[in-house]
Amino acid sequence: MKTAADLQFGERVTINSIDGSHPSSRRILEVGFTPGQEIELINISTFNDPMAFSVRGTIIAIRKQEASCIKVI
Amino acid sequence: MSTNTIGTLPLVILVGPPNSGKTTLFNFLSGKNYKTVNYPGATVEYSISRLQKKFNLKANILDSPGIVSLYPNSPDEKVSIEALYSHPSFGIPDLVLVTADASQLSRHLLLVKQLIEAKFNVIVVLTMSDILYKKGYDISIAKLSKELSCKVVKVDGRNGNGTDELIKEVREELKNIENGIKQKPVRLDNSVSFDKLIKDYRLIEEIEQRVIFENNGKTFPDIKNANQQLAELSNYLKSSPKNKIDQTTLKIDKLLLHKVWGLVFFLLIMAVTFTSIFWLAQPLMELVDSAFGYLSTEAVQILGNNWLSNFIANGVITGTGAVLVFVPQIMILFLILGFLEDTGYLARGAMLIDKPLSKIGLNGRSFVPMLSGFACAIPAIMATRTIPNKRERFLTIFIIPLLSCSARLPVYALLLAFLFPENKSWIAGLVLASIYIFSIIASTVTAGIINKFSSKIIKEEDNSSFILELPTYKIPKLKVILNNTYHSSMAYVKKAGTIILFLSIIIWFLTYFPDSNPKINANNLTQEQIEQLTSAERISNSYASDLGKFIQPIMKPLGLDWRVGVSLIPTFAAREVFVSSLALIFKVTGDKGALQSSILKEMRRATISDTGKKLFTTSTIVGLIIYFIFALQCISTMAIARKETGSWRIPIVQLILFTLMGYIFALLAVNSLKLFGVG
Repeated sequence: MKTAADLQFGERVTINSIDGSHPSSRRILEVGFTPGQEIELINISTFNDPMAFSVRGTIIAIRKQEASCIKVI
Repeated sequence: MSTNTIGTLPLVILVGPPNSGKTTLFNFLSGKNYKTVNYPGATVEYSISRLQKKFNLKANILDSPGIVSLYPNSPDEKVSIEALYSHPSFGIPDLVLVTADASQLSRHLLLVKQLIEAKFNVIVVLTMSDILYKKGYDISIAKLSKELSCKVVKVDGRNGNGTDELIKEVREELKNIENGIKQKPVRLDNSVSFDKLIKDYRLIEEIEQRVIFENNGKTFPDIKNANQQLAELSNYLKSSPKNKIDQTTLKIDKLLLHKVWGLVFFLLIMAVTFTSIFWLAQPLMELVDSAFGYLSTEAVQILGNNWLSNFIANGVITGTGAVLVFVPQIMILFLILGFLEDTGYLARGAMLIDKPLSKIGLNGRSFVPMLSGFACAIPAIMATRTIPNKRERFLTIFIIPLLSCSARLPVYALLLAFLFPENKSWIAGLVLASIYIFSIIASTVTAGIINKFSSKIIKEEDNSSFILELPTYKIPKLKVILNNTYHSSMAYVKKAGTIILFLSIIIWFLTYFPDSNPKINANNLTQEQIEQLTSAERISNSYASDLGKFIQPIMKPLGLDWRVGVSLIPTFAAREVFVSSLALIFKVTGDKGALQSSILKEMRRATISDTGKKLFTTSTIVGLIIYFIFALQCISTMAIARKETGSWRIPIVQLILFTLMGYIFALLAVNSLKLFGVG
């Protein structure tokens, strides 16, 4: 399944689920990445990692490897 | 503030997610008179204050570091959450004020909900409703209060409107608590399930739907049974413009987080930061310096030439001057850090540099502590608590002492002034900038090497993570920044000041006693020459000289003698003492003019007694600078590293490794310079 790490710049998608086996998954949930939320990739750092997503009206930067636990539709 | 007043007054604790306007609220409630151990970049310690007098309510208010939820993810969060239940020095809070950004309600209510679930006495303080309003929405306080079954107050962070109402509610709530039922908070189950979090968020989304309405009076459709209509709700949320990101922030980020220009701006901002520390502070430092030089001269003139005047002029005044001379630099660094943090740039900097830092075993979150390390290693090491991964955190702590802290500045300033005459001070500025760059390179290379080869020094292994909110860009509040800068600088002066003054007095004692009165053959000598000879004789008969002869063998390969050695011994407690020690050992008492120029004059004159060669030459000065770049000379840093890592292993390895590195590199530099004919 496609994950947030695969998004193109400016791509807007809805979260399907969060992979609970990822060690960062709980914090990712806590900062607002929950199923049903719409996210958009709005910035990528110079070194291609971390990536910044808009979620629930704010911007959250997470590493690419962490974004891969966010499954999107 | 004494601890017993804390014990008897009600304790109100302020909690909230990062960027929820918590510190602004604290400033409204406490006014100016708070006691703080806060440093820009990370609220890792607590600020405590009485409520402002004008509120006419006697209570202590405690500011705590930002937390996202009651389940900790990093050491600082763990500390904050533990302190919520029972603060080690202030006890169990009577009342919890939790801040929530009204325009971020669906995220910030998570913590509110958890606090209520844990049975804390909670008042919710809604901030930034002006931003919500600008987006075209408003919020019903009464409805939210009913939904959460706790009190809710709106406070405007721009002008403090609503603070009086908040105080009214606090007063009432404290009275209720006093009169009987005081709930005891319960610990939440740490193994809370994934589904519970998702469920909590759904409930919060439903609450948000019911309390937020459009400006023109239209309400959202009231979805009672949202579980069944989740899809519909989510669709509604998706298109909801209240979740729209601030457009100005997006525009600025297009530039500051641009793939190429982002890095250019980052380097530019860092460069401006460091150069302005030097250029802006220079005139202020000179002012402080000449003021103390003047005071010291005056003291001798008023009190006459005896041991008391010598003690006051050289022990006390010079010692204090050595501390105060670099306060301008610390203040400017804190000011810039506070400014960068308040605008919202620091988080972007952390994001930009996360990847390169992770390559050498650090984390994007190491960025702010490392930046603070240029002011002082102590707050910097405390700020590492925001790094969740233990290994990355310990490695950050390990390399922080290599970053050029402000205590080294007076030393560099003196040594560079020796190398470059006054009319070429711009070269000194450039060299200082390169010392900074060099210290960054040295620390990152060290981190890389240790990360690669050593699992002995830093053993911990954990999940490496970087999750950071990039806050909306804001115009910084000058008043708040100035206030924080003042408090941080004062805390620093008090801490460093006492140690340095104490050491200066000891060195004075060692250099002054035994109070010998050497006989000088005064034939054909001017009065000035006689004074110089007398003081040189006195020093070589002093206790300091006995001590110095011990380290003579270590100093000799560096082309230095026991006098520099004696000046270096107390630097292990605090490196900036080097300047005042040199002043005591080389300065002629009662010399007119600024401290620095008078020390420089004597340094230029000093010779090594058995060879008659100049003691301070280009090569020996370069050697000293290199030694100071590496050597760990700060008792407080070691103490805080011990406290934060939980053992002496890291501080002791730091002390031995860095000091050895300093010595060896200095040795190499001095001797290769000599090889190439540089004196």
